[in-house]
Amino acid sequence: MGYSVEDGPEIDTTFYNFDALNIPQGHPARESQDTFYVTEQLALRSQTSNVQIHAMQRRTPPFRIIAPGKVFRRDTPDPTHNPMFFQVEGLTVGEGITMGDLKGTLQTFLEKLFNRAIKLRFRPSYFPFVEPGAETDFSCYLCEGKNTICRVCKGSGWIELGGSGMVHPNVLKACNIDSEKYSGFAFGFGIDRMTAMLYGIDDIRHFFTGDLRFLTQFR
Amino acid sequence: MKISYNWLKTYIDVNSSPQELAERLTMVGLAAETVTAKDDDYILEFDITSNRADALSHYGIARELAAIYGVKAELPKPKLKESSVATSSVTSVEILNPEVCPRYVARVIRGVKVAPSPDWLVKRLESIGQRSINNIADITNFVLLEQGHPLHAFDFHKLAGKRIVVRTARAGETLRTLDGVERKLREDMLVIADGEKPSALAGIMGGEYSEISSDTYDVLLESAYFNPASVRRTARALDMKTEASHRFERGTDLEACIRAINRCAELICEIAGGELLAEVVDAYPQPITKKPIELRYKRIAALTGLVVEPARVPKLLAELGFEVTTFMPDSHWEVVGPSFRTDIHIEEDLVEEIVRHVGYEHIPLTLPTWNGAGAYLTGEERRRKAQSTLIELGYSETISFSWVKTELDKYFQNKELNTLVISNPIDEERPQMRTSLLAGLVESLARNFNFGSRNIRLFEVGKCFEKQDDIVKDYKQLAFLVTGQRSESDWQHQQEMMDFYDLKGVVEVLLENCGIKDYELERSSVSYLHSGQAAQIKVLGKVLGHFGQMTPSLRDEFKFKQPVFLAELSLEQLLTLPASDVKYTSLPKLQAVNRDLSFLLPENISYQELQKAIKDLEIKELVNIRLFDIYTGKNLPTDRRSLSFSLRYQPLAESMTDQQINELDEKIINLLSSKFDGQLRR
Repeated sequence: MGYSVEDGPEIDTTFYNFDALNIPQGHPARESQDTFYVTEQLALRSQTSNVQIHAMQRRTPPFRIIAPGKVFRRDTPDPTHNPMFFQVEGLTVGEGITMGDLKGTLQTFLEKLFNRAIKLRFRPSYFPFVEPGAETDFSCYLCEGKNTICRVCKGSGWIELGGSGMVHPNVLKACNIDSEKYSGFAFGFGIDRMTAMLYGIDDIRHFFTGDLRFLTQFR
Repeated sequence: MKISYNWLKTYIDVNSSPQELAERLTMVGLAAETVTAKDDDYILEFDITSNRADALSHYGIARELAAIYGVKAELPKPKLKESSVATSSVTSVEILNPEVCPRYVARVIRGVKVAPSPDWLVKRLESIGQRSINNIADITNFVLLEQGHPLHAFDFHKLAGKRIVVRTARAGETLRTLDGVERKLREDMLVIADGEKPSALAGIMGGEYSEISSDTYDVLLESAYFNPASVRRTARALDMKTEASHRFERGTDLEACIRAINRCAELICEIAGGELLAEVVDAYPQPITKKPIELRYKRIAALTGLVVEPARVPKLLAELGFEVTTFMPDSHWEVVGPSFRTDIHIEEDLVEEIVRHVGYEHIPLTLPTWNGAGAYLTGEERRRKAQSTLIELGYSETISFSWVKTELDKYFQNKELNTLVISNPIDEERPQMRTSLLAGLVESLARNFNFGSRNIRLFEVGKCFEKQDDIVKDYKQLAFLVTGQRSESDWQHQQEMMDFYDLKGVVEVLLENCGIKDYELERSSVSYLHSGQAAQIKVLGKVLGHFGQMTPSLRDEFKFKQPVFLAELSLEQLLTLPASDVKYTSLPKLQAVNRDLSFLLPENISYQELQKAIKDLEIKELVNIRLFDIYTGKNLPTDRRSLSFSLRYQPLAESMTDQQINELDEKIINLLSSKFDGQLRR
């Protein structure tokens, strides 16, 4: 679909991690109980969105990038949490890019991924670096909402994909992109829980133990 | 946040089922996660995003429903019976820090009777899981849950000087809060003080000494606005989280102070009796007004792709409580957000308001126009090749945490490094960012030994970190380890254990599959590898990585009972090295000749050194040298070993005689005996 792969730093300055993403000083996401800090100015990225900023500074519109990578949050490990996990971040900037394009892109992506027709559900939501913002669900690829005890969607018929939206004008501004001329959409989602869901893995802590009894099942 | 369906319906007249309300609210961005039947009621559980503080109450949810259904949400109008004594004649409010507390409203009620709450009130609170305390506390709580505005009630007589001073704490001040904890206050923490000392942590929790108790007679009510960042900072510093702080941190309605305090006063008089003093004391030194935001009709479709009927725009906004002034009909408006919507600042915010109420489901599905092919990262193909090579050779890919034990990481550092340490690690034992992948791999190995595995092959690809001139340098590495039997499944080879040459073979296959043929293997002296069995890979004069057997001392350290072989390469270098060119030479017309020679050599001479020295002789006819046997032991001196090579000579212009070949052999024999003290074994 024309996306170029980007790779950003896993330890980054608070400018790329927060300021440029419209997450100002005092915002809960910056707190040390959620984010790992090396120094006051350097943090382990808590989302792959820092790559957006690096890419927008380096490239000139139009462009499309996709950035998979590790992210870190101070969550105590349990069967559904790990302090390190993987996200994929996508970003498209150009003239006349709309939320309709975002919906169409995600729909195409998911249909290719699962190799079947799927339905999307867009709900308004909030992320500081997009406006308007959305949360995306997609119809359960396994039961299509027909099984009330489906192990994947738990009977709701929907699977949560992740957050997305139109790039906030403050973010474009921080990257010297004229928000009157260009618009863009960004989306992100987590890989680990999705993987756990697809394979029915009961405890995502297995991912990082190097246990061959676990690893060899995926060879 | 829990919302009672019955309670909600006291503010709005809608006949939809709780399930339908949940669905409709979710689709405008107030996510209702569950609907549960409870007695004669339904409880809706919401996950409200941090920007929507205005929706953290029953009335707040009703307001949103009003816009969805096009009806009105209404609060009961307080009926106040005020006495002739003015509130301002018995108390005063002084704000010393208006930048963090722009408004503070107070009322006094005299002669209340503190008692248990009436049944209806207890039932309301309990329906959403709140505990009843006493009538006064319950009423403040009820108004919070009704309107989303936190209130506090002080025992008026306990306040020194009978007055309120809003200020930051002074050095050394403490406050025992309602939960019985003695809090040491910092000078940047905002408190509600009486004439002498702190009486409440502003917007978070009251103090114990001025708490409402069974002998409280007069009550001072507080209804204020506190700066979100200030409340958040204090709450985090003291590790506190209350219903009040949760709302103040997200931004409350500055204009709701009076409405909330009057509602609270009305209910207190009705339930606990007492004399309500006349008028509020309203300390609001600098009234805050909201700036209008420009909204252009074309921006809606430009951002979302959704075409909305122009006449619908001002109507939708008005239903959400916005003031709309028409600039140009159907194309240009000026909009002021309601005081309760602290999240509305720019045109895009207004676009979202309109589109979420028209419905995100109506946004068309489109695709951006084509603007060229994408690209992979440099070296992507070779990275995949390297990984698939290892997988094909029986290695499993693993991922370790990027933080490690400092002392463990140190073992695998090839030189002095400035490491990066996490100041607030989650695993206190592992605070350091790794400089090598080996620490993590070795820990995984230890785990696998504990699970009973003996034959283990693991690899990892990932970033490592070091500090260079105060800048973070991250670099991609590739590491693998192997231990145990060469072949697990074959009973014939059960006793054969992996050795250094197996590892060397893996390194060579890996490099060749990556298209790198011109590499040199030299002795390595890294501290974690056994000196006799350690090599470094050099390509174009640069060290690409090291491999070999883990030192016995390190093995003892980990209590590993069998030899372990390690390798670590710079993936960054591997991915950027030029691939070796294919050099074609025309096929020979003459028959090649093979000669095998065995030498007795000192043990410390490596085959690599010999090979290099022989190549340096520049014998044109010699096209290949291959080591085919190494022998130590019986019949040989202890410090010597036997190496056997196969030499391949390719005649150039005409066939070679035995004599000519012997001369070439002689050159090699002379070299090995003069330079390496080697003896030809006949």
